[in-house]
Formats: sequence, C-alpha cells, structure tokens
Amino acid sequence: MNNNINVPGAHELARPRTRRDFFKTLAVAGAGATATSALFAGKASAKTDDVDIANFALTLEYLEADFYARALDAGVLSGDALGVVQNLESHESQHVDALVGLLDSVGATPVEKPTFTFPADAFSSEGSILDLAATFEPVGVGAYLGAAPLISSPDILAAAGSIAGVEGEHVVAINWLLGVVPYANEAFPKALTLDEVSAAVAPFMGGEMLSTGGPKLSAAEAYRLAHV
Amino acid sequence: MSGVESRVPIGLDRETSRRNFLKTAAWTGAALSAMGIGGFGVAVRRAEAEGEYKTYEGLGDAAIVAFAYQLELLEGTFYAEGVKAGIFKDAFLEQIVAIRDHEMAHADALATTLGQLGEEVPATPQFTFPGGTFGDAATFLELAATFEPVGIGAYQGAAPALKSKDILAAAISIHNAECQHRCAINILNLINPPNDLAFEVALPLQKVQAAVKPFGITG
Repeated sequence: MNNNINVPGAHELARPRTRRDFFKTLAVAGAGATATSALFAGKASAKTDDVDIANFALTLEYLEADFYARALDAGVLSGDALGVVQNLESHESQHVDALVGLLDSVGATPVEKPTFTFPADAFSSEGSILDLAATFEPVGVGAYLGAAPLISSPDILAAAGSIAGVEGEHVVAINWLLGVVPYANEAFPKALTLDEVSAAVAPFMGGEMLSTGGPKLSAAEAYRLAHV
Repeated sequence: MSGVESRVPIGLDRETSRRNFLKTAAWTGAALSAMGIGGFGVAVRRAEAEGEYKTYEGLGDAAIVAFAYQLELLEGTFYAEGVKAGIFKDAFLEQIVAIRDHEMAHADALATTLGQLGEEVPATPQFTFPGGTFGDAATFLELAATFEPVGIGAYQGAAPALKSKDILAAAISIHNAECQHRCAINILNLINPPNDLAFEVALPLQKVQAAVKPFGITG
C-alpha cells in the first residue's frame, strides 16, 4: 500500500495540551484574544470550563448561521449551491439551538448573539459566498477538534463530536461546489488553538467579539491583527 | 468478478450472500434511524439516558485503539479493492483513492499509538465481502454508504470513554475524516445536497461489533 499521507502520531494531533494552552491569549496584542479574554473573565474554576467552551462554540455557530442566513437572503444562489447552503443554514441554526439548550440545561447563561460584520462584497455572488464559507468551515472544525480534549463532561464531549463531524461534512460539500477534487481530502483534519480561532473570526466581529467587554477595534484594525 | 477475485488478497466469501449482506446493511440503517437524529436535545437526552460511550468504558484505551485499528484496516482494504477493481475513473477514482489512503493512514497512526502504549498490534483479520461488492460502482458505493456511518458511530461512541487526551485528540480528528468521507460518498451516490445531516450519530459498541462481524472482525 502506497500511502502518500504524512501520518502524525497521537501526540502531534493533540495540539492544545492543557486548558491553559487552549485559552492562551494572544497577549495584549491580539484583537481576538483581548475580546475573548473578556468571555472567560471570572470563570476560572474547572467546573465552568465546559460552559466557556460551549459558549465559545455557540458564538461560532451564531456567526455561521448568520452568514448563511444572509447568503440565502442575498438571492444570488441557485441550483446545487442553493440546496447546500439551505442545509448549511439549517444545520448551523440547529447547532445554535442545541448549544443554547445545553447551556440552559446545566443552568448556565448562553452568550447573546453578537453583531457580525462581513466584507462589503461577501454576498454579491455565489463565488464570494462560497469562498468565505470555505474559510469558515475549517475554522469550525478546528475549534471543535482543539476544544474536545479539554471538555470534562462526557455528555458534552459526545455532543461536541456530533456537531464537529457535521462541520467536517460542510467542508466537503463546499469543496464539491468549488470543484475541489477529491472533495474529502484530509486524513487528519486539523485542530486549532483558541487564539487561532479567535484571530480567524475577529474580522467578522468588528473587533468586538462579545458584548461582555473588551476594547472595540475598527474592522480594519481587526483584519490587520488577524492577518499580519 | 473472477478477474477481481484472482487479484485480491482477501477472501470473497461466497457464503456471505448478498441477501445476508443487505440484511446487515438494512439493519444498520434501521439502527441509525431508530437512534433519532431529530435534534441535539434528543441527542443530549439520549446521551444522558443511554450514554453510548458507557458501552466502551470497560475496554480501556488500548482495546479501543486496537478495535479502531481493525475497523480502519477493513475500510482501507475495502477501498483498496474498489480501486483495484477498475470500476471508477476521474473524480470518482480520485476520491476513492484518497479515502483508501486516509483509512490506511489512520491504521498506521493507530498502530503507532498501540506501540507507544506497549501493546501488540492485532493481526490483520481475514476480511470477507459479499459476492459482487467490487463488480460495479453502484454496489460498491452502496456498501461504502453503510461503512462510513459505522466508523463514525464507533469513534463518536468511544471518544468520551478514552482516558488519554492525546488519544482522544487523534480519535476526534479521525472521526472528522470519517464524517467527511460520509459526505463524499453521498456526492458519489448523487445525493444532493450531500450535507444531509445536522448531527452525527454515535453507536454503542455492541452495534458496531454486530455491523462489522459479517466482514471478518470478530474482536
């Protein structure tokens, strides 16, 4: 058997080794980290870590659901792309409902839906929508894969795995629409650290990831911090 | 088929009739629908009420990894035979080749993990597939569509039972690759839209064992 895959060991896959690593901030420099630190402020006890992770996941799901809802509203999708995006919007909305339900069920407060901003031409064509979708979905996958080993509750871990896999399917469906062959092309989908996820989504949060505080940055500044 | 049979290193079990195979496939499908994928609330309640992961807890990490290794070998062998059979071309062939390589890479990674744990790597089982499996693309893809949810269900079920966070990180990454395969197989089966599931489904150990037993995994 000729394998042309570089096979990582389990240790290499386990990128965030500890909660501290995962919640490692971008020091004071990063927009995402600054805002995200606010999310975790005052929630240092081990018992609330799962809640923090669930709320962070909820923020990402809100972002994705909002993005796909706007994409449908733009009226530029048709054919295969329309069908795929209708399902994407439906799935992300169900993930939002599920995470809100999960947080409610453990007596925690779900984060409010943030106000998201998107590039001016994000919804101008099918191509621009799919290009942005192709950047969102691997971030969602990476966030869940990075967070999973840090989750204490087996039930929450089981739920996170269920959602993470669906985000992986989204990557494949978008590859299909974009003509990427093979559609499923990762033997080991990548985990991301929280700072990597935060940097990736900060541009869409207008520099203010959450209503819980943190200095507000201009969208341009947030972009610069995320991409430099 | 005789040409294929002469080239394959595995036993094409004529005793495992297509009827029996389809019963297995139908059973798996029924089991999946019976689990109900009507929403996360259901999934959470199910996890709390039944906890698929609890069925893996008695095994320990090494046995879970050894079982996963055999599942990957089964999948890798299946896709390798699909490539050799010459029933695919172009984008379809590229996808089947990629999935074959992924499954074998998963098996290699799991074997490495077993070595790190100081455990024996299980011998490769004598896999058997129903006659006709590799005869045409439609039959092959029909079976592929039943394999992937079993792999997904196994990893998703076992993940919370793993003690090692490193092994969990590897397992959840492999689980994601299997989910990506499920969607890719949907594309090859012309299911449109191919992303047709909002929540992946975990399977308890016993259902995974029952699903793979006809193919030669008895562990």
